[in-house]
Amino acid sequence: MKRKIIILGLLLLLFVSVPFALSGFWVRLITYILMFSILASALNIISGFTGYAAFGNMVFFGLGAYTTAVLMSKGGFSFFPALLLSAAVAVVTAVLLGMLLLRLKGHYFALGTLGAAEAVKHIIENLTELTEGGQGITVPPLRGSPAVVNGFFYFFMLLLLIAILVVAWRISKNRLGYAFKAIRANEQAAGVMGINTTRYKIIAWSLSAVFTGITGSVYAYWFSYIDPPTVFDVMWVVKMFVMILIGGAGTVFGPVIGAFILETISELVWSRFINLHLGILGMIIIMVVMFMPNGLISLVTTGRGFRDIIKNLRRSTESRL
Amino acid sequence: MLLQSIVNGILFGAVYATIGIGFSLVWGVMNIINVAHGSFIMIGAYLSYTFYIAFGLDPFLSIPLNMAILFAMGYLIQKFVLNRVVRGSVFITLTFTFGLQILIANICLLIWSADYHSIKLSYSGAGITIGSIVIPLVRLGIFIAALVLTGLFYLFMRRTKIGIAINATALNFEGAKTVGIDVGNIYAITFGVSAALAGAAGALISPIMSVNPFLGGPLVGKAFVIAILGGLGSTIGALAGGMVLGLVETVGTVFMPSSFQELIGFLVLVLVLVFRPQGLLGKKFYE
Repeated sequence: MKRKIIILGLLLLLFVSVPFALSGFWVRLITYILMFSILASALNIISGFTGYAAFGNMVFFGLGAYTTAVLMSKGGFSFFPALLLSAAVAVVTAVLLGMLLLRLKGHYFALGTLGAAEAVKHIIENLTELTEGGQGITVPPLRGSPAVVNGFFYFFMLLLLIAILVVAWRISKNRLGYAFKAIRANEQAAGVMGINTTRYKIIAWSLSAVFTGITGSVYAYWFSYIDPPTVFDVMWVVKMFVMILIGGAGTVFGPVIGAFILETISELVWSRFINLHLGILGMIIIMVVMFMPNGLISLVTTGRGFRDIIKNLRRSTESRL
Repeated sequence: MLLQSIVNGILFGAVYATIGIGFSLVWGVMNIINVAHGSFIMIGAYLSYTFYIAFGLDPFLSIPLNMAILFAMGYLIQKFVLNRVVRGSVFITLTFTFGLQILIANICLLIWSADYHSIKLSYSGAGITIGSIVIPLVRLGIFIAALVLTGLFYLFMRRTKIGIAINATALNFEGAKTVGIDVGNIYAITFGVSAALAGAAGALISPIMSVNPFLGGPLVGKAFVIAILGGLGSTIGALAGGMVLGLVETVGTVFMPSSFQELIGFLVLVLVLVFRPQGLLGKKFYE
């Protein structure tokens, strides 16, 4: 326990020192990775803990980003009120969509969320007077020297990440978390045991949505330009799922570890082989799914180390049917 | 105008049916939502384009070639890769097919570049005029070819030993294994057949749509809608779903801007999923 606290303290110190020690490029890159860590951790609550494959989770990111963009550019709002309203929009959407879609299971839920996300994207595109439609919308940017601006968004993302990690850690230890895990293991049995499954599923999705929506809001302010294809991009969710798979589904720190690994590889590949970037990402996805479906964290927690990877490699060379 | 768009909708609806059948076959039999189905259609379209440029081969004649190539590709992917993860959870298989999709898109981009290609047939302007309606020859040919493919697929699933084995595996995986069906092989054939149908659909759209690396994405969206409308594993359902989608899209353009069309497609998808997950037509085929 003591060792854990020391490690966490050192990590925190390391992260706090980043904007003071590294150049603007690195600060922005790590901010981006922190953003994906938050998004993957948020998705992990509904998908990893509760077992619902919410492939349409970008709907909350997009709605958060657009709420902030519209309020700031058309409504004259400043950033923080816009952020709070974005969070509210995300939660309300999650509750309403949840009441409709969380009755569906497995593939049907995955597809339902994808359909809902696409529908919302098209609604945003068609509300041209409010959202400027498909051409995107600009947001009044944060004024200040580059170092201050970079630092602001870096610490904002870092705080959000710490917040969601604390929430995920608390959940994994309390009633709520046990309810989520019971639903993942066997929803029918959980229902029979007296767990109000619908309520808990909606709570899980709302928690996921509020963090995703806030992150979308910060993204809009950070990039100061957004358009529907970017903020509703399904491939982002796919990347989040790969991050969760790399790190370990249903664990607190897994998605963060996965985000750092995948985005670091992405960045290395992106700068060197721009033509092969997507192809390599595709290969990584396929490899991760085939060889490490339980994530890296399972290697640490089960204490069996890399022997497991070798075993997986060997097992995966024979058919599992 | 309205009558003309109804005719256009029905003609193109048959292609949607071909797309939907292949997509819902894999979903119904193996419980995999294959997001890469659109990429297979794209490969088919590129193959037809290549055959046309290299040998002057008519896209209609490249259908069997496309089907053979894509069958082999699908069979090998399932046999050596997908069979190892097919029993995993939804997000494993769905993430996998997303990975496959971007890998294929990247490979096509490297081979055929990001340019928009198109096939100009000598008879592309010709058509039959009935009263005020014009039926373009190319679209009529596409319609007939798609119907023939649908019919052949229907017979394949009902009358051949392999088709019956696919049905059996879909209905009861353990049972099929017990009676001696090589389920690994059946899964590979199923995926191959689905890919072959996508390859044929690619040939069919190549004379009327521009062939480019972004072709696949929207078509997967349509495949979702068709499969959900028709219900899984039903050929007739997919045919009906394809026709309905074709009609809604073309007739829709008369009444509303085209940007609303996709919105309506996805709204219908969500509503049908929520209120009639077994499809519009009927019963649940596979559990």
